[in-house]
Amino acid sequence: MSNYKLSIDGSPVEPAAGWALTWLDAEAGLARLSNGSHAEVCLIEGSGTDWVVTLRGRRIPVAVRTWRERVLDDAESASRRHDGPIEVRATLPGLVVAIVVQEGDQVSSGATLLTIEAMKMQNEVRAPQAGRVVAIAVVAGQAVAAGAPLLRIE
Amino acid sequence: MATSRSDPSSLRKDGPPFPRLLVANRGEIAVRIIRACRDLGIESVATYSDADADALHTRMADRAERIGPASAAESYLSIDAVMAAAARSGAAAIHPGYGFLSENADFARAVEDAGLVFVGPPPETLESLGDKLAARRAVSAAGVPIVPGLLVPLPSDGDGSLSQIDLGEVAFPAMLKAAAGGGGRGMRQVADRAGLEAALPGAGREALAAFGDGTLYLERLISPARHVEVQLLGDRHGNLAILGERECSVQRRHQKLVEESPSPAVSPGLRAELAESARLVAGTVAFHSAATVEFLVDVDGAHYFLEMNTRLQVEHGVTELVTGLDLVAWQIRVAAGEHLSESVMASTPLGHAIEARVYAEDPHRRFAPVSGTVTAWRMPDGPGIRVDAGITANTPLPVEYDPLLAKVMVHAEDRPAAVARLRRALGETAIGGVQTDLSFLRWLVDEPAFVTGAYDTGLIPDEWGDGPTLTDEERSLAGEAAWQARARSAPEPSASARQGEPGAESAWQQVARREAVGRRRPG
Repeated sequence: MSNYKLSIDGSPVEPAAGWALTWLDAEAGLARLSNGSHAEVCLIEGSGTDWVVTLRGRRIPVAVRTWRERVLDDAESASRRHDGPIEVRATLPGLVVAIVVQEGDQVSSGATLLTIEAMKMQNEVRAPQAGRVVAIAVVAGQAVAAGAPLLRIE
Repeated sequence: MATSRSDPSSLRKDGPPFPRLLVANRGEIAVRIIRACRDLGIESVATYSDADADALHTRMADRAERIGPASAAESYLSIDAVMAAAARSGAAAIHPGYGFLSENADFARAVEDAGLVFVGPPPETLESLGDKLAARRAVSAAGVPIVPGLLVPLPSDGDGSLSQIDLGEVAFPAMLKAAAGGGGRGMRQVADRAGLEAALPGAGREALAAFGDGTLYLERLISPARHVEVQLLGDRHGNLAILGERECSVQRRHQKLVEESPSPAVSPGLRAELAESARLVAGTVAFHSAATVEFLVDVDGAHYFLEMNTRLQVEHGVTELVTGLDLVAWQIRVAAGEHLSESVMASTPLGHAIEARVYAEDPHRRFAPVSGTVTAWRMPDGPGIRVDAGITANTPLPVEYDPLLAKVMVHAEDRPAAVARLRRALGETAIGGVQTDLSFLRWLVDEPAFVTGAYDTGLIPDEWGDGPTLTDEERSLAGEAAWQARARSAPEPSASARQGEPGAESAWQQVARREAVGRRRPG
């Protein structure tokens, strides 16, 4: 079972459980996926979070991220989208277990704002940019859906 | 060629036709010609631009001559640069391949004026066939059906003078074409007279840029249509061999992607008609070497002459597979004055062959060419498979040239077996670094219209478009492959470790690390 979060073109993907990967030529990235009765040869290139799997001749970019990487990425892209005040949203559904900051706090970019527990893992939500916390929309113990606004930074 | 039959006349007794031959081309066709030279005992001289200094053809030839910078106009299209390379190398003959200077009469004349042999027809033949309108007139006069349409040029400025042109038997929709060339450039489908007027300036500019001549003419649109061509091989002594037909209807942008021989649409009766028409077309010009006569075939089985190309075609390999002949070697031998052998003249095709062209193109984005570096490169192998490739692994793709990477060809006893073999061959093929048309080709071999052979030139626009969207299964498999690859790659320092937070390594990072360590253990 994967502990990574997968996405293709920004949409989440469930991995295909029960398929074993065997390298045919690890240097070239050539691999065989087999579920015991059927096999697919594919080509896998990439490192870190960015991968491209060439399956049946088609290049498919796959983001392979830990929870932490995903939260950081989303926060970063959120900060790129806004110049002024930005809303920090939950990138995954979970339970708000701790809020580290208070309204009015000055935070630096990357500072921990709050912690969300999801699938029994603690995930820190970090500030996508430096600023002042002007509003907090949640309280500790609250369940949030993916995309729910958490707090606002100016 | 796993299934080619022997050609006894190719066992030569009198030494090579030429001691040394210059290859005025690049990519897979240059490699193909170098191989033919080697088979014939001829020393090969490659030509290369700066972009191709490390290219496969440059490394493969007996020697190589630099002919200029990456720009094709200053290298592979420069008559002066190629002739200078020929003089330096001491070559006795020049093979132009296809494209570039292969149908350039000035080049053929320059080769002859230098006292060398041009592997191709005489310059006069290239001149007369280069003008498609003149060819239409000559072919029609010889009694071969041509696509109904104009025999005179259209005014390419698209002004009011168009209204004075009698469009005669052209009915709309119609095809606008360039008089000076093919390859789909300058070609437009027009729905009516207004559409024609609107399309004229753009098509004229495109033709002018591609061929140095913006002259256009108009033909009736034959649709649905199949594109079928007949392979000819002639010597300098009047012998002409007709080597069957090729079906070329799998096209994007009026350019071929997949060819097969024989055509599933051609009955024995139509085959005889096409052969006779091809013979008549060849008779309108002084011709020797390899040539192809292209026809459109409509739903009623009527055929119409399109054009004659007096050069090697990209898709010559499928004819080689079913005839067992080496067309490139024969081009060189007839250029040296040899007679076509009995075995060529009596050649009959055996079985079925299909070629799939592998291009650095994105079939999910209108087959737009892509740039980049080919990383992994795995070509198919085994019974009945031939690959003509122009590159190897870890090759940057020059943006200046045609994005054809390789031709995967299969030969089998009949069409169903050939389709199955092509399906296997494409399954063994893997190319990394850039998107290729492999995803389209793999779709094609399961597409009912292709599998049954009942397809026409509308196959790609009508049935493929930009291809199917990724299925959930494909997304899941890609995701599975990617995360497993990440988990097995060398463990990275965790984000928290980088930030100096000890003890925060996650469970799956520990698993990945254990597995990476485990892989290093023997057994």
